[in-house]
Amino acid sequence: MKLESRLWLRALYARMWVRVMSVFNEPLWIAVNIGFPFFSSVGLGLLYASTGLRSFVGFAILGGIMISFWGNVLWSMASQFYWDKQVGLFEVYLTSPAPMTAILVGMSLGGVVNTVPSAVLVAVAGWLFFAPPLSPSWLAVGLTFALTLASLYAMGMMLSSLYLAYGREAESINEALHEPVSLLSGVYFPSIGNFSPFPFSVQVFASLIPLTIGMDALRRALFFSQGLSSIYLHLIALSVMGGALLLLASKTMKLLEQKGRREGTISVRLR
Amino acid sequence: MLSHELELRVEVQNLRREFDSKEKKVVALNGVSLKVREGEIFGVLGPNGAGKTTLIRILSTLLLPTSGVARVMGFDVASEPEKVRAVINMASGSERAGYDYISARGNLWFFSQLYGLPSEVAKARIKRLSQLLGLDDYLDRKFYMLSTGYRQRVTIARAFINDPKIVFLDEPTIGLDVMTAMSIREFLIKEAKENGRTIFLATHNMAEVDAICNRVAIIDRGRILTSDTPTNLKRSLGAPALVMEVSPLPVNLAFLNAVEGVKGFTTSVDEERGLARVQVVVESEECVTRALAGVAASGMRLVSSWRQQTTLEEVFVSLVGRGFVEREHEVGE
Amino acid sequence: MSSVKTVLASVRIGWYRDFGWTNPLTGFLMKTIAPIASVLSASIVYWLGSSAAGTFDPSHVSYILVGAALYTHVAAYSWVPSQAISEGKWSYVFPQVFISPKSSTPFLVGRSLASFVTSALTSLISLAFAYYVAASIFKSSIPFIMTPLSMSLLLGALVANVPATLGLGILLAAYTIFASKFEWALPTYVAGLLMVFCEALFPVSVLPWPLSAFGNVLPFTQFIRAAREAVVYGSLSAYSYYVAYCLLGGLLFLAVSLWAYRWAERQGRKKGIIDRKVV
Repeated sequence: MKLESRLWLRALYARMWVRVMSVFNEPLWIAVNIGFPFFSSVGLGLLYASTGLRSFVGFAILGGIMISFWGNVLWSMASQFYWDKQVGLFEVYLTSPAPMTAILVGMSLGGVVNTVPSAVLVAVAGWLFFAPPLSPSWLAVGLTFALTLASLYAMGMMLSSLYLAYGREAESINEALHEPVSLLSGVYFPSIGNFSPFPFSVQVFASLIPLTIGMDALRRALFFSQGLSSIYLHLIALSVMGGALLLLASKTMKLLEQKGRREGTISVRLR
Repeated sequence: MLSHELELRVEVQNLRREFDSKEKKVVALNGVSLKVREGEIFGVLGPNGAGKTTLIRILSTLLLPTSGVARVMGFDVASEPEKVRAVINMASGSERAGYDYISARGNLWFFSQLYGLPSEVAKARIKRLSQLLGLDDYLDRKFYMLSTGYRQRVTIARAFINDPKIVFLDEPTIGLDVMTAMSIREFLIKEAKENGRTIFLATHNMAEVDAICNRVAIIDRGRILTSDTPTNLKRSLGAPALVMEVSPLPVNLAFLNAVEGVKGFTTSVDEERGLARVQVVVESEECVTRALAGVAASGMRLVSSWRQQTTLEEVFVSLVGRGFVEREHEVGE
Repeated sequence: MSSVKTVLASVRIGWYRDFGWTNPLTGFLMKTIAPIASVLSASIVYWLGSSAAGTFDPSHVSYILVGAALYTHVAAYSWVPSQAISEGKWSYVFPQVFISPKSSTPFLVGRSLASFVTSALTSLISLAFAYYVAASIFKSSIPFIMTPLSMSLLLGALVANVPATLGLGILLAAYTIFASKFEWALPTYVAGLLMVFCEALFPVSVLPWPLSAFGNVLPFTQFIRAAREAVVYGSLSAYSYYVAYCLLGGLLFLAVSLWAYRWAERQGRKKGIIDRKVV
């Protein structure tokens, strides 16, 4: 194996390992991660149930599962370099020969592994509490889930590169982004298609967020037994978005690294 | 081996770096040139705001120069950062670079992987470095549970994990207790001597430079004022410094600048005793008499005076006319 | 008198903390986006479910808009004392305040009040904005009483709820003195519990007993009920009952919280954790 590929894989594995071990060494992390998704799926599940339509309760639970990943993307991917910058870790990455794409992919894989326990707990609690009706096409569900996560984390990598341009704002931007993106992407209800409450222009805009396409496909596959033949366009869109975002993330990272080196903003520590 | 036969590791020519702030353009480095060779511990000594950290950031590829050339192991830091990164490492006293919920050992292993080290090699290096830095008993503690001193030892170990040719250290012992600082300094001397590593140290700690640096460059307002061994720099002043304690406060010592043979002076105030301690850098023995006479003529009371072995601070005073503290105060303003 | 000065100084510090990173307008807009989205999400969930079930009732949209806007308001500022302590431990502000001649309570109250003003404004704006958006996307007339009296009553409810929210905040602050890690995760739990137990989106009666009983006695539940009486249902007598309950219950809760906080401070000194950082 070429030296560069070995370095890439080692850096990726190490970054993933650190992320996973942080949670393994401190299981309270799972409790930390589960708070918002659990309560929002219970709250909105009860709201769906209160309308008299039990069949939609599953939307709230699926939303709780997927919001765990979106939260992870926002707080542990997008703003990760911001925290790293504060303690001096970002400098360490940059002054090492490890490629930043390896660090980003490692962070993503670690993030997925870490979020799975909270997502599973939300799913189990939701299903035990509400027992919503399912009509799944499991192959389509599995494939859509994998592609949604891939494109969602690619978006995280992209945001993570963009956040390098910001200073103290990261926390406020995260807080401001979390809810509007879940509203637009229809985490708890269909935001595109026939059932969407939004006008067409908003639906088009929302479709640019990979989570929107993923959620729509997941709902179709999980609750309306639509198979690969029905949601193949969703899957193509997710693949294209994922690839494009990954490429953009890598380019943006390079550009912003150069900008940071030029303007001297790489090692701004806030604490 | 003669010093010029040793491999040239860092070469800086006419380096300039400007920063644009809202009000004005700040020149952090202004025509800096220097050369550092294999196995040297090279200190860059100056008050806060002198440009030390900017120089380290440029050499470690974190910052681009505005103009001039900087080469590390022959590679241009601006255009060949990837090649530079493979042979260097860096650490700073103000960082807290480590993952809180991972042990010190896990953190060090992680950092070794950023250089593509096979795990066995990494483990052997962690073992060697932890022995040298007295980290053995703390390797399996989570990073956030370590005291400041042990965290800094981990940081120093991290900076050597990839067997770098050059290590850039920015105030590596700042805020540490005396024993920890001493053990880190001993480690640095050993690494330079036994492994031929070049250590590029930015600090405002004169005792540290005196204790471990083979050569030192004194920097102020982005310019290198002089560069030599600490011994030669101190010897260049000729006469030992004159120290005077005068009262009452506040003292006005501007007249000292006019005394022939006075190269500069620095003042500190002893509030408790109500007097000022003045360190005067003098050219010759005759100048001492003139300075003392000047104090008597000024109407101040001379409480005591003595001569003192020259330190690097006095070298700085002789070059700038002010001490570190006064200079930092001026820069702050 | 000097406690009042400390409170006022802390209010200013709170605003600087919230908006110092940018200009106040941008900071305020950023703080308004999230509650708007949150309020809209809940109302859309109701609209979708009830439309499909054929049970859509526009007055229930008002019910949800008010509840969703106000539970996020309580969640936003109840967390502030905790945040002030954990951030203050990092910046040494908290130990500094602790050893000052004044107690740390006026500092925490001041920080909370700063956030109260901000979150009250953002919640009211998000309520108004979400109301218009919901009315347009649901293509239906959503009942909302918009008179000087109803607005005054709504403001009255917001103010009457201050002791209860301060009580919650100070209770969480008491916990934070002991917390050594993950304190920053508290707000998600606080917000989640408020959403489920304070009649934010649905009546607490849908919860099984004793959870419904627990929700019923909370002053926050009474606060949201009072606000709904003010701007949706318009019953002055029901409003008065809920406001009085919220105020008296809140004062009682605040007294208990203050006692708990004093106890936590004493324990903190004994254990030497007043300046221990939260990771």
